[in-house]
Order: sequence, then C-alpha cells, then structure tokens
Amino acid sequence: MTLQRDADRNEIKFLHKFVDLKDKRVLEVGCGEGRLTGQYADETRLTLAVDLDRDSLRVARVDRPADLENKIHFACADSIHLPFAKEKFDIAILAWSL
Amino acid sequence: MVHALSEIRRVLAPDGILVDLRPLADQWPVEVVSLREVKRTGRILDLPEQTGGDTASNEAMQEVERRGWFTREQQELFPFIYSWDTPSEMEEFVKDEWEDFFDLDDETKRVTRATWAVADADGRVRIRMNVWIARCRKQTSTMEIEE
Repeated sequence: MTLQRDADRNEIKFLHKFVDLKDKRVLEVGCGEGRLTGQYADETRLTLAVDLDRDSLRVARVDRPADLENKIHFACADSIHLPFAKEKFDIAILAWSL
Repeated sequence: MVHALSEIRRVLAPDGILVDLRPLADQWPVEVVSLREVKRTGRILDLPEQTGGDTASNEAMQEVERRGWFTREQQELFPFIYSWDTPSEMEEFVKDEWEDFFDLDDETKRVTRATWAVADADGRVRIRMNVWIARCRKQTSTMEIEE
C-alpha cells in the first residue's frame, strides 16, 4: 500500500493557525493511533490523549517518540465520562471524533 | 454528543478552548494527478452513516452554543488529501477503511482506471477531502436549560 495521507501537512498547519499550544495542558479526545498527537505534543506542557479503542491505543503507545514519553499520556476513556478533575485542561481537541 | 461536549466543558479551564476537527462529507473529488496536470475522474459517494453523523455533530455544536457553553470564534475548511500509487489501492482502501461511510461508483472507478492508465509515469490517484476546523471558547455563565 502506498497511501499518503495529508502530505502537505495541512491538518497540523491549520491546528497551529487556530490555537496556540505552547506550554498548554491539552486533552485530545478520539486520538486513535496518535497520528495527530505526535505532530503537536512536543510544544505542549502536557498532552493527555484518550480513545475507547484499546488496539489503537496500543499502537499509539508503541509509536510515541521516546523523547515525548513524559509529555504524552494515552488513556482508554469514554468522552461522556472523562476521568479527569474539572478545569484541568487549557485546550481540548476533538480529533475526528465528534 | 451533547453529553460529551458537556464533559469536555467540565474539564476545560475558564476561557479554555475547544477545537472541533473533522472531515465533512461533500462528495469529495477523485482525481488522477501528476506533476504536469490534474484530471478529475469522479466523486466519492457519501453514505447515510456519514452524512447523518455530520448532521448530528453540527447540531450538537449548535446546541452547546445555544446553551451558552461555548462561543465559536473561528471556523474554516481545508483540504486533506489521500493519495495512492494506483486506482486499485484506492479502491481497496475505500472498501476496507470507509466501508460504512463512503463508496465509489462503477463509473468513477472505470474513468479513474482509464485515466491513470494513460497518465504520466508519476501519475497517482487521490481523494481531496474537506476537513472542518472550528475554535470555540468555553463560556462560564450559561443559560440553564435542561437536556
């Protein structure tokens, strides 16, 4: 398979155009295999990425860059019961998941 | 969906930002492209599962804005391109990955194969998707409306 997905990187360009992620606490809902997460998390203070699909999360953890292990955390969670305290995040990203 | 948006609002700090990022079905063009030219060969078929999902998502966002939970500050559509070396790879992907949401009709498959067959050596096939992005700010004083 020779699939190329968003070779122009428009998705991350538009994400940066719309929101300043620097030093922010970010929640990504519906992260899947972390395709988008790994592209922006480096600049955040902390990124928590959740999905319901355990297989996808397994891939996301394996693919997570080693230098971002302390910054990106993946968790299995349902968006209607987020296991976090109130007002914990500065930014929430619904990544192809609404 | 409104429940999920309520949860997101709960965990967002005051003045926190919600980014809504998702593809919007719009009979995306199928094209054969090379360095020299781009030829449109058809369009994706949007299936009810996708169009119904888009409608539900849009309505959920409108509802939380109506309730005063979030205020939309910015919105835009941008292109997100999937491309493959061959038409058969594209067809396989659409069938395997998008089965419930999108399809390719026989005429689009036929024209795409025929166009690709006589295209330049660097010819690829692609689907040009539209992705929606919106930035919404959490509001702290809201209307009290029961769900």
